[in-house]
Amino acid sequence: MSTTINFTIDGKAVSAQKGETILQVARRNDIYIPTMCYISKTSPCASCRICSVEAEGVDGFILSCNTPPTEGINIKTNSAELEQERVNIMKLYDVNHPLECGVCDKSGECDLQNKTLEFGVAQQNFSAKDQLRTVKDWGLINYDPALCIMCEKCVHVCNEVIGDDAIEVKFGGYSSTIIPKESETLDCTFCGECIAVCPVGALVSSDFKYSANAWELSRVPSTCAHCSAGCPLEYETRHSGINGDDSIYRVKNNFEFTSLCGAGRFGFDFNNTERSTSEDFQKALEALKSAKAIRFSSMITNEEAHILQRLKEKLDLKLFNEDARLYASFMNSYASVSGKLHYSGSLDAIKQADAAIVIGTRIATDNPGVRYALTTASKHNGAKIVYAHPMEDALMQNTVTQFMKYEVGTEEGVMALIANELLKNKELPKEIRKYFNELDLGYLEAESNVGDDELTLMTKSFARAQNKVLIIGADIFAHKRASNIAKLAAIIEKYTDFSLVVVPNEVNTLGVSLVCDLDVDEDLSNVVGYNAHGEFIISSLDGADLSVGALNQQEGTVVSIDNRVLPLNVALPFDGYTLNDIASAFDIKTKHTIDYTKELDSSKGFKSIAFDDLENFLSPYGDDERGYILDEVVCPVDETLEEVAELPEYNGTVVYHANPVLQFNRYTAKTKQLEKDTTLRGSAQFAAAAKIADGDEIKIHLRSGVVKRTFKLDEELKGTIALNPTFDILVDMSGYRFEKSKIVRVV
Amino acid sequence: MSKVYFSTWNGESINNIGKPEEEWEESAYNLPAQYDDHRDSRAFIGWDGVALFSEDVDVIRLAMEYAAQYQEYSEACGRCAPGRWGGRILYDVLDKIARGEGEKADLDHLKEIGKSMQVTSKCEIGKTVPNPILDLMNHFEDTFIECINEKKKSKHYDETIGYIAKITAPCTDACPAHVDIPGYIEGVRDLRFDDSLEATRQTMPLAHVCGRVCPHPCEDACRRTNLDEPVSIMSLKRLGADWETDHGFDFFHPLEKKPSIGKKIAVIGAGPAGLTTAYYTAAEGIEVDVYEELPVLGGEVTVGVPEYRMPWDKYEKDIECVKDMGVNFITNRKITADDMRQFEKDYDAVMVATGTRISKKVRCENERPEIKGYWGAIDFLDWVNLYEKFDIRTPKSVQKQQMLKQDFVDLTGKTVVCVGGGFTSMDVVRCAIRANAKKVYMVYRRDEKTIIRNTTYEEYHEAVEEGVEFLFHSAVNKITTDKKDVLKELLIDKFELVPDPNGGRAQLVKIEGASYTIKADYLIPAVSQSADLDLLPEEWDIEMTSWATIKTNGKDYMTSRKGIFASGDCEYGPMTIVNAVGQAKRAASVISRYVQTGEITLTDEEIMEDHLRKLKVYDKKEKITGWLPGLPREHSAVLDVDDRKDNNKEVALGLTQEQAISEAERCMRCYYIAMVQA
Repeated sequence: MSTTINFTIDGKAVSAQKGETILQVARRNDIYIPTMCYISKTSPCASCRICSVEAEGVDGFILSCNTPPTEGINIKTNSAELEQERVNIMKLYDVNHPLECGVCDKSGECDLQNKTLEFGVAQQNFSAKDQLRTVKDWGLINYDPALCIMCEKCVHVCNEVIGDDAIEVKFGGYSSTIIPKESETLDCTFCGECIAVCPVGALVSSDFKYSANAWELSRVPSTCAHCSAGCPLEYETRHSGINGDDSIYRVKNNFEFTSLCGAGRFGFDFNNTERSTSEDFQKALEALKSAKAIRFSSMITNEEAHILQRLKEKLDLKLFNEDARLYASFMNSYASVSGKLHYSGSLDAIKQADAAIVIGTRIATDNPGVRYALTTASKHNGAKIVYAHPMEDALMQNTVTQFMKYEVGTEEGVMALIANELLKNKELPKEIRKYFNELDLGYLEAESNVGDDELTLMTKSFARAQNKVLIIGADIFAHKRASNIAKLAAIIEKYTDFSLVVVPNEVNTLGVSLVCDLDVDEDLSNVVGYNAHGEFIISSLDGADLSVGALNQQEGTVVSIDNRVLPLNVALPFDGYTLNDIASAFDIKTKHTIDYTKELDSSKGFKSIAFDDLENFLSPYGDDERGYILDEVVCPVDETLEEVAELPEYNGTVVYHANPVLQFNRYTAKTKQLEKDTTLRGSAQFAAAAKIADGDEIKIHLRSGVVKRTFKLDEELKGTIALNPTFDILVDMSGYRFEKSKIVRVV
Repeated sequence: MSKVYFSTWNGESINNIGKPEEEWEESAYNLPAQYDDHRDSRAFIGWDGVALFSEDVDVIRLAMEYAAQYQEYSEACGRCAPGRWGGRILYDVLDKIARGEGEKADLDHLKEIGKSMQVTSKCEIGKTVPNPILDLMNHFEDTFIECINEKKKSKHYDETIGYIAKITAPCTDACPAHVDIPGYIEGVRDLRFDDSLEATRQTMPLAHVCGRVCPHPCEDACRRTNLDEPVSIMSLKRLGADWETDHGFDFFHPLEKKPSIGKKIAVIGAGPAGLTTAYYTAAEGIEVDVYEELPVLGGEVTVGVPEYRMPWDKYEKDIECVKDMGVNFITNRKITADDMRQFEKDYDAVMVATGTRISKKVRCENERPEIKGYWGAIDFLDWVNLYEKFDIRTPKSVQKQQMLKQDFVDLTGKTVVCVGGGFTSMDVVRCAIRANAKKVYMVYRRDEKTIIRNTTYEEYHEAVEEGVEFLFHSAVNKITTDKKDVLKELLIDKFELVPDPNGGRAQLVKIEGASYTIKADYLIPAVSQSADLDLLPEEWDIEMTSWATIKTNGKDYMTSRKGIFASGDCEYGPMTIVNAVGQAKRAASVISRYVQTGEITLTDEEIMEDHLRKLKVYDKKEKITGWLPGLPREHSAVLDVDDRKDNNKEVALGLTQEQAISEAERCMRCYYIAMVQA
C-alpha cells in the first residue's frame, strides 16, 4: 500500500505522507494558508478556524490544520467566500480587544495586529457586552485575560512539549479563560514557553513588561549557554536608559520548532560587568608562568579550550577539568566497544522515540531539553519511558511509564541487567553471549533491587516500539565502574535497535572532552583557575583576579548533546582581556579567538570550517541549519567487557548533588530573575534519619568540604536521599553524585 | 407523533398558526410535548429546528434564551473563535431586540454572524445553534420587526419562565451510559488524557473495560458514518485509562467525594451495575456496602469475560478506582432473603445487581444437568477464569462431574460443542481453544451475518481464525450418553430460512433428512442466562417481567418495593456491560436523592436525556457538510493467531498513539444543544 497521497492545492500537484495534514503539505510547498492558532510542534489547537479551505466536490469548508488529504482531492485555499469568513473571524477576534497597542508588549510583532491588517478589518458591526477581567500576576509570568484570544497555543505547549501541564482552558463560552491547572496560582517550572507562543500580549514576562517596544530591540542569534541541549535563542538588546550601555532585555526563541527552559529564557543577564586593569593582566601572565596547572570549567567555548590546550603544550602545564575528563574517559570506553567516538542518538531521536530508558540522571533539571524531548515522545508517540534512578522525580511522572528504582551505587549492576534483558533474543558474538550467560542475575537483582518482574514489564511495554533510545546521565561518569558501564551501553547500542544519548553535564563538556587532553586533578599548589578555582583566578564570574567575558559576550562554538558544533555570538560587548590576549603573550598568536574554529581537531570529528562560515538558523520548515554535526570518528574495537564488580552499599543519610529547576551553575546563580533555592531538600524520612527538621540550619560534611545550608522538607520527595544544589558554590562537584554525608544541625 | 402548533424540526414545516386546535397537523417526530408528569412543554428548540406546542410562546425570548443556554451550558463552547464570540453576539443582539432596543440592522447582523457560525464553528453545537434562531427570525419576522419598530419589549420578557437545556450528541445519546464521547475523544486529540478519562468517568467508571469489550452501540450512531466510516469510538476510550495506569497516577475522579451525609446503602453484586451504583452513590457522600457472592470482585466481567479479551490487571484498576471513592466490599457473601429483610432495616436503600448467572437450557431431547459433559456456560467460564486470573483451582466436585484430570480446565483431546450465538458463547469457544480442545464447534440457529451483528466482526473472525467451526442454521436435537451417563454424541438438525410470501419475517424451517450426528465430549449451553432471584423475600412480592427479571419503569430503577432498586442484567435480562452501567448510573442518582428525601425524582438533565433518547439524536440520512470524506477508520492491531490461541495474552493491542490521534481527528464533535420551555 502506498503511503503517499497525491492531490492538488490551488492547482499545484502536491503529495502528502501518511499522517500529514493539508496545512502541513501546503506549508512544505510554500503555499500560504492563514492561521491564528496553529503551532507546528503541537497537535492542532483547531480553535481559530481561519485555515479553512475548500475541497472540490465537498460542501462546506474544511479545516486544513487537522485534516489529512485524500487521494486526488483538489484543495482551494482561497475564494471570496473563504475570504469573507476569514474577515469575519478577524472581526470577532477584534470584538472588545483592548485598544492598548500603544503600551502593549506585543505591539509590532502581534499576530492579531498583523492579521487584522492583512484582512483589512477597519471597522465592524459585531459587538458584545464587554467584561471586566483583571490581570493575573503569576510570578515571572503575567496573564491578561482581556488580551487573550483563546488560541490555546500556551496550553498545548505546556502539556505536549514541556510536560508541566500547568495551565488549562476554563471553559465558559465568551468568558473562557486560561487558568492554572488545579492551583490558585501558577505552579510550574517557569520555562516561559507560554509567553513565547502567545500570539498577542496576553502572556508576558513580568520583568520585560512595559520596558521596551519590539521594534527598538536588536536581535543577536546565539545558543543557550546554560546546559548542553544547545537550544537556539535570540538575545534582544537595547541601550539601558538614555545613552546607557546596551543590556539584554529579553530572550526569544523560534518557538514554532524549538523550546527553551526558564534558565535560557529568563537567565540571560550573566554577562561579566567587571573590568580588569593591565596590572591584573600582567599578574595573570606571571601566575601562568609559575603555574603547574590550569583548572577550568566546561563553561567555555571550543576555541578557548583549544587555546588552553595550546598553553598546556607550550608551558608544559597540566589541564584540570574533572567534568570533561570523566566524560571523555566514559566516551573512550564506549568507543572501544562501538568502534566510533560519537553516540548515535540526539534530541530528535528522543522526540521520535516510542520507547526510552533513562538511567543515571535527574533529567528534568539536569537537561530540560532532554525532558522536553521525552515529553514530546510521551505525548505524541505514546512512548513507554523507563526511568531508572534511586529517586523518583515528580516532574517526570507525566512522562515516565515505569520507575525502576535501584540502590545508590549499583548502576553497573543495573546496566548489566538492562543489557541482559534487551539482548535476550539478540544474536551476539560468542564471547559476549558467554559474558551475559555467566552474569549472576540473582545477585545483581538482589543488590540493585531491580527485580526480574520489572525487567519483564519493561520488555512487555516495549513490545510494539519501533524507535528506541537509551539515555545515560551524569551519575554514571564519575562512577567507579563508569568504564564498564560505558561498554555495556555500547553493547546495547551495537546489538539492539536502541540509539544512545550520553547527556553531557555542562554547556560544553562534550566539546572540551574532545578538544583538550586532560589530566587527573591533583591537589597542587600553583594552579590557575579559568572560570574555576585556583590560586589565581581568571574568570567571567565575579571576584576574579582577571576578568574575562562570559559566554554571551564572546564568539565561539560549543558542542551540544546532538554532537552539533554550534556558534555563540556577542550579545553584549566585553571591553577587556580575553584568553586569546593571554595566549598571545605566550606567543600563541592569532588575531581573534574564533580564528581557531577551523583549526579544531579533525581527528575528533571537527570540520575545518571558519566561524564566520557557520550557519545559524532554522529553515522555515524547522530544519536545524545551525553549525554542523561532528564527523564520525572510527576507533579500534575491543569488545572485552569487565566482570561486574561487587555492588556497593550506601546506608544512612545520602545527599544527591542535583540542582533545583532553572539552576545549573554560578552563571544562572547570578541572574536576576531566576529563583535561587539553595536549601537541602529532603523527605520527612530523610529528616528523621538525619535528625533535622524543616528550616534547620545545617552543615553538610562532603568529600570536598563542608557546606552550610538550610534544610527544607519537600513533600514530593521520598526515602533517605536529599537533594543538594551545586549551582551556588565553587567546590568541586564532579565526583559521583551520591554521597554518604554527615549532617549536623547548627545550633 | 406529537401535537404541535408550529414545527420546523428536521426540515418539516408544520404551521398551525391560526387554526383551531382540533385541526392541528401533527409532527412526525417524538417531540417532548409533555415535559414531565406535571408539566406540559410550551416549546422545544434544538439543533434541528424549533417546535412550539402553544400559541403563547415569546419567540424572541425563546431564541435569546437558547443562545444564552449555549453560552452557559455548552462544554464545547469557548473552544473556537466563531462559537465563542458568535454565541455571545447572538445572545446580546437578541436580548437587545427582546428588551425593545433593537434596530433593523441587528437582524442582518444576526444573520451574518449566524451564517459564519454555521460554516466555521469547531463543533456541531456552534454550527447548529443558529439554525432554530434563524428559523424563528424567518417564520416570525413580523414579531421581531414589531418589537424593533415599536421599541417594545417582547411579550414575556420580564416574566420568570423555566427553560431547561441539555447538551447531547448522537453517540452520547445512543450510549446506554450516555458517556460524553466527543469530550473524551477531544481529550485524546488534545493529548490531555486526564481530561479524556475524566470525561468518560463522569458517567462510566469502567473505562478500561468499556475501552476494550464494549459492543459500542455508539458507533452505530456515529455521524461520521454518513460521511465514510464510524469513528473507532470504543478503542479511543482506552487511551485515558491506559495513561493513568501506565504513569501510576492517583485516580482521576471527575467529581469530588462529598462529605458523609449519614446515609448508607447496600449493593448486592459487585459486577458492572453494582460497581457503578457504588461509585456514584459513594461520591454523593453515601456509605456503601457491596456484597459479593464470589471470592473476587467484578462480576461476570471477571469470571465471564476471558483474560485475553479483558486482562484482569486492567479491570482491577477500574475496580480500585471505585474503591478509591470509598466503598466497602464484602466478598464470599451470598445474600439470602433473610439478609434482605435485615438490609431493608439496616440500610436506607438496597440495590439488587446480581446479574443473570443461570445458564438456560438449549431445549433438546435428553437434556439433563447431571450428564457428565453437559456444562453450563457460566459455570464453565467461572472455572476457566478463576484459574487463569486468580489461580483458584477447580474443586473436586466439578472435576468429577466434568471429568477433569487436573484441578483446572484442560480440554486436551476433547471435542466441545457450544450452543449460542452471543458474546458468552464466543467466550466459551475461544476459551475451549485455549484449553487445548481437539475440536470446537459453535452451533447456531441463524447465519453468519446475524452472529456478527449480535457480537462483533472482530470477535467472530478471531474465533474462526483460532479454529472454531461454526455450524450455522443448526440446533442440537438430542444428547446421547453412555451407560455411565457420559455425553457421547449429539444429533444436529439443519434448518433453512424460508421467506414469508406475505413479506413478513423469514422463518427457520427444519430440513428433513439433513440431520446428522457429531461425536462430542462436552455440550456447553450458552444460549442465554436467567436470574437467580432467590434473595428476594417472597412476601415482598416484587413485580417481575414476563421474562423473569425484576421489573422497574426503566427510568428510576426502583422495584415495586419502595427503597429496593434493581439494575443490570437482573433487571434487563442478559445484556451489555454498558447497559448495566447506564442503568446503575441513573439509579445511583435517583438513590442519592431518595435516601435524603424519600422521594423518587429525576433531574431535569435526566428527564431531557430520556426525551432526547425518544426523539433520537442520530439521523442516518443527514447529509454532512464541512468535512472531507474518505478518511479511513483506524483498526487496532491484534495478536497473530499463532501467538494467541494457546495462551491468554490480550488479543486486541489497541490503537497506537499515532492511530489514536488520527482517529480522534476524524471525530466531528457533534455536540448539540436542546432546550425546552416548560
